[in-house]
Amino acid sequence: MKIPRKKFQATVPSVAMGDIAFNLLIFFVILARAQDDSHIKWEPASTPKVEQVKSIGVSVVVDIDSKLYLNGQEIGESQLSAAIEKLLGNAPAGKRSVLLKVHRNTTALRFEPVIEAVSQAGGDLVHILEEKSLQPKK
Amino acid sequence: MKLRRNNNFLIEPASAATGDIAFNLIVFFLVCASTQPDSGRKQILPRSENQQQKQTEQIQNLEVSLDRNSVSINTEKIPLTDFPSRIKRKLQGKAKPEDRIVVVKSTKDVPYHHWIAITGAIEDGGGIITLQLEEERSIQVP
Repeated sequence: MKIPRKKFQATVPSVAMGDIAFNLLIFFVILARAQDDSHIKWEPASTPKVEQVKSIGVSVVVDIDSKLYLNGQEIGESQLSAAIEKLLGNAPAGKRSVLLKVHRNTTALRFEPVIEAVSQAGGDLVHILEEKSLQPKK
Repeated sequence: MKLRRNNNFLIEPASAATGDIAFNLIVFFLVCASTQPDSGRKQILPRSENQQQKQTEQIQNLEVSLDRNSVSINTEKIPLTDFPSRIKRKLQGKAKPEDRIVVVKSTKDVPYHHWIAITGAIEDGGGIITLQLEEERSIQVP
């Protein structure tokens, strides 16, 4: 008489799947955040009239401590023009927008060379500003 | 003799979908974070390479000088509140783009919010902004 062997059911434990997926996603979120500029501290200047602008590839930020960033990465003033030119490549006119986010109290000594660098790279300058509120900021 | 029924079943919530739920939640928050609309103002500046060629022409253009708290048009100091109307008047009747060029000179300590207010007024008045920057020169001292 043959005694049939007991069959074991092999299943993949799915309890840890949630944690694995969560950790993977956190990893990719942090990786993505390092490439944008949402972690940089700056306050926009205000103006009475603003228009909505599409955020395209290149953004330049001068933060509260007058540090310069290109697409979220700190960069030197002397390298800025070449780096923007490289990012813009052969993009046609109208698609060469460079978003310029300058902290409202930054002085001309810091922001004018940045504007010059964008202009030198052939970028279309877009100042990111906020609409003027009734109570002026001090 | 009473037989006790075993009612202590281990109730475990289905964990297979946890990954999907976490994924959907994070995608939702990511999308929310990335769709913050930017608002601002476009500014057309002539490429700085061409500025040197036009330097001789710029002499006759309007010149706006900016200090930390003040502004002047062709060395005449103007109250900040009057500036938009004054620059508009000066640019009136100038049809050619080359006549509407306004050279903006700023001292080192001009804050960005002041610069934006003045350049905005120039553009609203129909002017084309050109920046005049001080060049850095290194001098060797013997």
